[in-house]
Amino acid sequence: MSAFTLELGLGAVMVLVFGGSLTSRGADRRWIAWLATAGILTLGIVSALVKPTPPALSGMFVLDGLAIFAKRLFLAATFIGLLAGIGADAVACGRRAGEYHLLILSSLLGMLVLASARDLILLFVAFELMSIPLYVLAGFLKGQDEAVEAALKFFLVGSVSSAVMAYGLSFVYGAARTTDLARVAQAFAPGQPLLLLGLLAVFAGFAFKIAAFPFHMWVPDTYEAASTPFVAWLSVAPKAAGFVALFRVYFEGMGDRVATWVPIAAGLAAITIVAGNLMALPQQNAKRLLAYSGIAHIGYMLVGFAAASASGTAMVLFYLVAYVFGNMGAFLVVEAVARSERSEATAALRGLAQRSPLLALAMLLFLLSLGGIPFVAGFWAKLYVFWAAAAAGLYWLVLLGAVLTVVALFYYLIVAKRMYIEAPDASAGRIRLPGTLALAVILCALVVVGLGLYPKPIVMAALRVAAPLF
Amino acid sequence: MIGLPAYLILGALVFSIGLFGVLTRRNAVGILLGIELMLNAVNINLVAFARFNGDVAGLVFTLFTISITVAEVAVGLAIVIAIFRVRRTVEADRLDLLRG
Repeated sequence: MSAFTLELGLGAVMVLVFGGSLTSRGADRRWIAWLATAGILTLGIVSALVKPTPPALSGMFVLDGLAIFAKRLFLAATFIGLLAGIGADAVACGRRAGEYHLLILSSLLGMLVLASARDLILLFVAFELMSIPLYVLAGFLKGQDEAVEAALKFFLVGSVSSAVMAYGLSFVYGAARTTDLARVAQAFAPGQPLLLLGLLAVFAGFAFKIAAFPFHMWVPDTYEAASTPFVAWLSVAPKAAGFVALFRVYFEGMGDRVATWVPIAAGLAAITIVAGNLMALPQQNAKRLLAYSGIAHIGYMLVGFAAASASGTAMVLFYLVAYVFGNMGAFLVVEAVARSERSEATAALRGLAQRSPLLALAMLLFLLSLGGIPFVAGFWAKLYVFWAAAAAGLYWLVLLGAVLTVVALFYYLIVAKRMYIEAPDASAGRIRLPGTLALAVILCALVVVGLGLYPKPIVMAALRVAAPLF
Repeated sequence: MIGLPAYLILGALVFSIGLFGVLTRRNAVGILLGIELMLNAVNINLVAFARFNGDVAGLVFTLFTISITVAEVAVGLAIVIAIFRVRRTVEADRLDLLRG
């Protein structure tokens, strides 16, 4: 197998979807959604067989353990996102089904390449290939006021941060005299102002993509206005890709000089955790609540990043796995409820336990995982990240994170209280949801519980792939 | 002979003008123009570095940045048109449906 197996396979799926959308007629184009989902499932199975290969394209493109780990995660997240979208209404399966899926698949292609990019040019191209389709998808419901407004905000903030990142990349290239990241890492010394300036500007671009605190403004608006299965995917996959690229640029081959990033990352982590959790407290819309809590989770992952060690990196990877499934699951439950209630307020979840016990149980599991309660995935994720940060001597950050976990538990448990203790509205009947959406929720719940009971395989895999970076 | 710092200062000036435009313009098209200026500053930098480092990779990088900028601005203008169709305005101040 070549280094490009997954990318070529994804290209083939895209050609199939494109051909399908050219030939299909009528308003119901569900089969295109099925085609894309089946394609991603096949690629996911292929990715289980992919082995690390030597760098291709004279070192620009690497398929090492980290890249494979990340690509499996992206494919799993995309599979669940597409599966949930099949049950959704006109958005994913109507006349524009071909466009919708091609955009998601192109963004996924950007992520796959980004995870492997070890060259400034390839990194930038992959980053933009990932981002530009997301702007279009955010405004996909183009007749709705809120959707186009959110798309414009997302686009403006996104392209400004891309410009800042590109400006930074130009200085990195100029100071290091190469576009090869491996050689940039060798050229890097904290005393070099131009290179440091460039890498800091690039960091700001990444901070936007992962939605760390001062760069988070687009998140709640975009999440609220766009269609929920897409948002579920948007809230996890590009962030995972952003983190993997961060590891590549700032850690790989840097050796002892990674200590340069510790204060910046720790500071960013601290304000992101505080801001995300506090802004989540007053939210009444479930999607906005999850948006702000997602920002806080990015902060917790930055805690692991700030540890700047192999174990810290591995624990961020584990956190990403737990976050991908926990967060997507929570969004999909909100989607299931919103389909019957026409409301995304947390109040719509009232009495969910009586209306659909299984859905309520799944939501409870996701909330507990996001909150970090023992024996679901999120607990180990938080514990390991804190453990890595403590090993790096960042005790103040661990303390801050642990205190704000309590705040987070407060707003998660309020949602749980609405589901289990409050009575449903008299008019509300049982909730019916399409089989594909139910399957997606069940898959997420199984992973969250499975990782909670037996996290060892993923933790060991993450440690194995993170070790060669240092 | 003009040296490398002169080009970098020019790039920084263009970048700052673009950023100023993005922050102060109220019209979405004006903001797009600001973003375009910021990305052009990147091109000035890249070409200057390529020239003074004697390395063609910077020129290749510039070609990629130019084409990506075009793709980005095309999407941006499409979004602006979509907004104009539903809202009949492209003033950023009036886009305030989403709050909180």
